[in-house]
Amino acid sequence: TPTVAVAQSFAFNSVEIDGNQRIEDATILSYMGIARGQTVSAAEVNAGFRRLEDSGLFESVDVQPRGNTLVINVVEYPTVNRISFEGNRRLDDDAISEIIESQERRVLNPSQVERDAARIAEAYSQQGRLAARVQPRIIRRSDNRIDLVYEVFEGDVSEIERISFVGNQAYSDRRLRGVLETKQAGLLRRLIRRDTYIEDRIAFDRQVLSDFYAARGYVDFRVLSVTPELTRERNGVFLNFNLEEGQQFHVGNVTVSSELANVDPDLFAEALRIETGDVYSPTLVENSIARLERLTVQQQLQFVRIEPRITRNDRDLTLDVEFVLSRGPRVFVERIDIEGNTTTLDRVIRREFTVVEGDPFNPREVRQAAERIRALGFFSEADVDAREGSSPDQVIVDVDVTEQPTGSISFGANYSTSDGVGLVGSFSERNFLGRGQSLRVSLGNSSNTSTAGIQFVEPAFLGRDLAFGLNLSYSNNTADYAEYSSNIGIFEPSLTFPVSENGRLQVRLKAEYGEMYDVDDEASVIIQNEADEDALEAGGAGYTYSYDTRTTGLNPNAGVFLSFGQDFMAGNDVQYVETNIRAQAQAFVLNEEVELRATFEASNLTFSQGSSRAFQRYYLGSRYMRGFEGGGIGPRDASEDAALGGNNFAVARFEAEFPIGLPEEYGVSGGVFYDIGSLWGLDKTYNADVRYEDFSLRQVAGVSIFWDTPIGPLRFNWSEPIERRAQDKPRTFEFTISAEF
Amino acid sequence: CVAQYRLHGYTPSDDDLANILVGVDTRDTVSEVIGTPTTSGVARSDAYYYVSKNVRSYGMREPEIVDRQIVAIRFDDAGVVSNVERYTLQDGKVVPLSRRVTGNNANDVPFLTQLFGNVGGLDLSQAFDG
Amino acid sequence: CSDFSARPFANNNSFAEGGQSGEPLENFTAEEIYARGEYELADNDADQAAVYFGEIERLYPYSEWAKRALIMQAFAYHQDQDYENSRAAAQRYIDFYPADEDAAYAQYLLALSYYDQIDDVGRDQGLTFQALQALRTVIERYPDSEYAESSILQFDLAFDHLAGKEMEVGRYYLKRQHYAAAINRFRVVVADFQTTTHTAEALHRLVESYLSLGLTDEAQTAGAILGYNYQGSEWYAETYELLTNAGLKPEAKGDSWLAKIYRQMIKGQWL
Repeated sequence: TPTVAVAQSFAFNSVEIDGNQRIEDATILSYMGIARGQTVSAAEVNAGFRRLEDSGLFESVDVQPRGNTLVINVVEYPTVNRISFEGNRRLDDDAISEIIESQERRVLNPSQVERDAARIAEAYSQQGRLAARVQPRIIRRSDNRIDLVYEVFEGDVSEIERISFVGNQAYSDRRLRGVLETKQAGLLRRLIRRDTYIEDRIAFDRQVLSDFYAARGYVDFRVLSVTPELTRERNGVFLNFNLEEGQQFHVGNVTVSSELANVDPDLFAEALRIETGDVYSPTLVENSIARLERLTVQQQLQFVRIEPRITRNDRDLTLDVEFVLSRGPRVFVERIDIEGNTTTLDRVIRREFTVVEGDPFNPREVRQAAERIRALGFFSEADVDAREGSSPDQVIVDVDVTEQPTGSISFGANYSTSDGVGLVGSFSERNFLGRGQSLRVSLGNSSNTSTAGIQFVEPAFLGRDLAFGLNLSYSNNTADYAEYSSNIGIFEPSLTFPVSENGRLQVRLKAEYGEMYDVDDEASVIIQNEADEDALEAGGAGYTYSYDTRTTGLNPNAGVFLSFGQDFMAGNDVQYVETNIRAQAQAFVLNEEVELRATFEASNLTFSQGSSRAFQRYYLGSRYMRGFEGGGIGPRDASEDAALGGNNFAVARFEAEFPIGLPEEYGVSGGVFYDIGSLWGLDKTYNADVRYEDFSLRQVAGVSIFWDTPIGPLRFNWSEPIERRAQDKPRTFEFTISAEF
Repeated sequence: CVAQYRLHGYTPSDDDLANILVGVDTRDTVSEVIGTPTTSGVARSDAYYYVSKNVRSYGMREPEIVDRQIVAIRFDDAGVVSNVERYTLQDGKVVPLSRRVTGNNANDVPFLTQLFGNVGGLDLSQAFDG
Repeated sequence: CSDFSARPFANNNSFAEGGQSGEPLENFTAEEIYARGEYELADNDADQAAVYFGEIERLYPYSEWAKRALIMQAFAYHQDQDYENSRAAAQRYIDFYPADEDAAYAQYLLALSYYDQIDDVGRDQGLTFQALQALRTVIERYPDSEYAESSILQFDLAFDHLAGKEMEVGRYYLKRQHYAAAINRFRVVVADFQTTTHTAEALHRLVESYLSLGLTDEAQTAGAILGYNYQGSEWYAETYELLTNAGLKPEAKGDSWLAKIYRQMIKGQWL
C-alpha cells in the first residue's frame, strides 16, 4: 500500500471515497479524523490511514492526496453470511459454535478463522480424539458475502488399553489403578467416558499418586516418568507409570518450641495428638498445626505463626517434627467482597466466615471458610482468594461464586418390596429463596400407602449456629402384612446446636397421632383390641446427642459416630418413653483395600401407662437386619401367624467390603456380613397364643455384591439364617439402593 | 456442654503502647509501631481506634461479648498524638437498633421465578427408595 | 429512534408464518421483512421480531435497512429480556456506525442491558459496576443526546444501589455486634456515596455503632452532621432520641478538635 510521499501540509476541500459498500463514508471519515477544509499535515493523514487499517473492517486501504481532494479507496472484508460444520459427529453444531469466535453477519477475519479451526481441533483432542483435523473453507456469495464451512475429520477415540506400574512394592498395581482416575478400557466402554487419553488427566494422576504415597509416609516418592505408547491402529494407549517409592518414614520425636515470651510450649505440646512411631503424613502435621492454632485462639494470642521444622534421620527412617511458635506479620482483613451470588443472599455466604472485617488475617481460617462455602452445595465453583488492600498490611478477601441449580422436582414411580408400586411427587430446594434454608414438600401414594410431608431446615436460626428443623408428615397405610389400616401423623419441630468440637445436641417437641381402623376379621385378637381403643394422641419432648468424628477426626482412615436420643411422650391415658441408640465405627485396613464397618442399633418403647399399639412397635425391616421378610421375626400371634411387632429391638451388624478381582471401572465389589439381633417385648396380649415374645437372638450371615451405577449404589444380598425360630420368615435374597450413612 | 471462644479485632499490648509518645508521634509512626487501626472517627483523620473483643458462644444461646478493649489515639490539628485512652466493655451502651431500612429501587425478582428459577435436573434418588 | 408506525402487514399469509415454513425470506425485500419485524414487535412477539431484523442484516447487509434493522434488533432482544444478544447487537451497531445519530441509543441500550439485570441489594453486585461504566460512556461520549440525562438518572440509581449493598453488609455486622466492621462500612457510604439516599441512614447507624462501643464523642459528631444535613429525616428523629436517652446532646461536644470539625461541617463543605 503506497505511503504518502511528499511531506507538506494539505488543505482538502473535498474527499472522494470509493470501494465501500457496507461501511458508510461518515464512518470512514470518523476513522480518518479529517474534516473538510481543515489543513492537515502528512503525519495526520498517515495516522488516519493507519487507523483505517487497524479498524479490521477492510481487506486493503489506499489513501492518495490529488491536488486538494483526498482520494480514499478501500476494499471491504466480506461479511460472513452462513457458518456451517460438516463431518462433526461427537461435537454437535451448537457445542462447536460456542467455541469459535467468528459469527454470522460479522466481518470475515481470516486470522480469526484460523484460530477457530485450531480451537475446534483442541476441543476434539480434549475428548481424546488426537487424530482430529479441521479445514475451514470459504464459499463466495453475491455482493461481497461469503459462507464459512468448517470441515471436520474426527478420527476415532484413543482409549487407554492397560495401565501398568514399575517400581511399586508397597501397593499392588490394582490398588494404584484404583487410586488413579483414568480407568483401563473395559467392557462397559460406551457407558464410561473416563478412559479417554488426556494430558492434563495424566498430570492429575501424577499428583494423585504422589498425594497417595505422601499420606502413607513415603516422603521420597517420585513419579520418574509416564510413558504412553500408542497402539498400532492409534486407537489405544499403553500407559506405563515408572515409580520410585523410597522408604516409608515414621514420626520421630515431636517437640514444641516458642520464640514468644508469653507462650508456654508445654501447654501446646499436650494439645498434640501426633506421637512417635505414627506413620508420617502431611495431613497429620497439617492437623496438628490446626490443633495448635485453635489453641492460640483459646489462649487469646494474636499473630502467632506456627511452623513445622522437619529433620530426617535416614538411619532409623524417622522424621523429627518440631513445631516452632513465632511472631507472625500484623496483617488485617480490610473487606470481604462477595460476587456472583445471583440467587443466594450475601449473608448466607458471609456467615460461613468466622473471621470478621477488621480481624487479623489468618489464611487457615479463610481456607476453612472456603471449604464451608463449597460444602453448602449451592455453587458449582466457589473460589476465595486474598489480595492486598488499601495498605500493605491490609488484605481484601474476594469470594467469587458461580451458582448451580439446587432445586429439584421429582415425579416418579417407585417400587419397594413392602409397599408395591407408588407414585411419588416432591419439590425440594436446598437453597430456598437464596436464604440457605432447605425445604422438601412431598406427596406420594401407592397401592396401599399414601404419604404427605414437609421437611424444613433453617441452618442459622436467629443468625446463630443453631439449626431449626420442622418435620410434618402424614401417612395412611393399608399394608398387607399387618391386617389393619392406619392413619399416622407426626409433627416434630427441633433445634440443633454444637455442644463441643464434634458433638451436637438436638432438642425437639413431638406430637403423634395414630389411628387403626377396618381390621379384617381373622386378624390377631391383640390387633382387634388395639383397634378398638380410641386413636392415640400424644405429645412430648425429646433430645438426641450425637458425636461424629468421621469427617473432622484426625485419622483419615477411621471414624466413629454415636447418637443417643429419647422422646418422653404423654397422651390420652397413655405415657411412654422411646429411646434410640446408634453406634457405628468404620475403618480401612489391609492397605486401605478392605473397609470394615460395625454398627449397633437399639430402640426401646417403655409404657408407664397404657400399652403400645401395632403402628408404634418395631418390625425390623431389611434396613436394620438382613435375611428376613418385613415383620419376619419378633412376637407373633401363632393362631393367625400374624406379626405383632415388638417394643424393643437390638441389632449388631458387622460387614466387610473388598474388591473381588474385577477391573475397578466396573465399580463392582463384594462383601460379607453377619447380623445378630432380636425383636421382642409386648405389653398386653389379651391371652392370645403369642410366640417369641421374649428376647431371643437371630443370627444371619451372607454375602453381598455392591455395584456403583450412574443412578446410584446398588446392593444385592444373599443371606442364610444361622439361628432362627420355627415361624420366622427368612428371605434369602434382596436388592436395595444401599444408602450411604 | 463446652463453651467456644472466638477472638476478634486487635488492640496493641501495653508495652507496645509504651513507645507511643504524646506530642511526638504522628499518624504514620503510630501505624508503623502498632499497626493499622481497626477503625477511625467520622472524619477520617482525627482519631485511631483499635478494637478487640472476645466472644463466647455456648449451646443455643446468642454469642455473648465477654471482653472488649478499645485503645483510642487522638491527634491534634498538627496531626500529632494528643491523648491515648482505653475503653472497656463497661463503657459500651446497649442500643436498640432501628428496624427501618432505606428502600432500594431495584426491581425485585418475582417470587415464582425465585422459587422455580433454580430447579435443576431430575432427582432420581428417592424415586428408587427401596 | 424508529419513526415507523407499525403498519399491519399485508395479509399475505404465505408470508405470515414468517420464513421458516412459508416462502424463503430471500425473495422478500428488506423493507417488507423490516415491516414484518415491526409488526411482530407491535404484536409483542419480540424474539420473533429480533429474528426478522437479524435476517435483514444477513440478506441485505448494505442497505439502509440493515442499519435500522440492527438497532431494532438490539431493541427487540432487549424487549425480550435477552440481554446477551441485545448487548451483542448494540455493540455491533457501535462498531459499524460510530458516527451515526443512533449510536447514542445503541450505547444506551448496552447500558440498560446491565442496568435491568440489577436485582435486589442482597444479591450479586458485579452487574451494577458494569452498568455504571456503560452509563458513564453514554454520558461522556454523547453528552447532548436525548439519552444523556436519563443515563445520568440511571447512573445515580445504580450508584445508590451500590451504596445499598454497603449498607446491607454494614447492617449484617451491626446486628452481630461487630461494631468496628459495621462502622467501617457505614463510613464508606458517608465518605464515597454522599449523594445517595443512604447517607442519612449511614449516619444514624454510625451513631448506633459508636454508642454501642461507648465512643460517645464520635456518636455526637455523627448525630450533629446528621442533624445539620438531614434535619427533617426520620433518621435524625431516631438519632435525637438515642442520644438524649444516653444523656447526650446531638452537637459537637468535647475538646477543640471536635468543635472544629463541626464548624467545618457547618461551613457547608459537606454537600
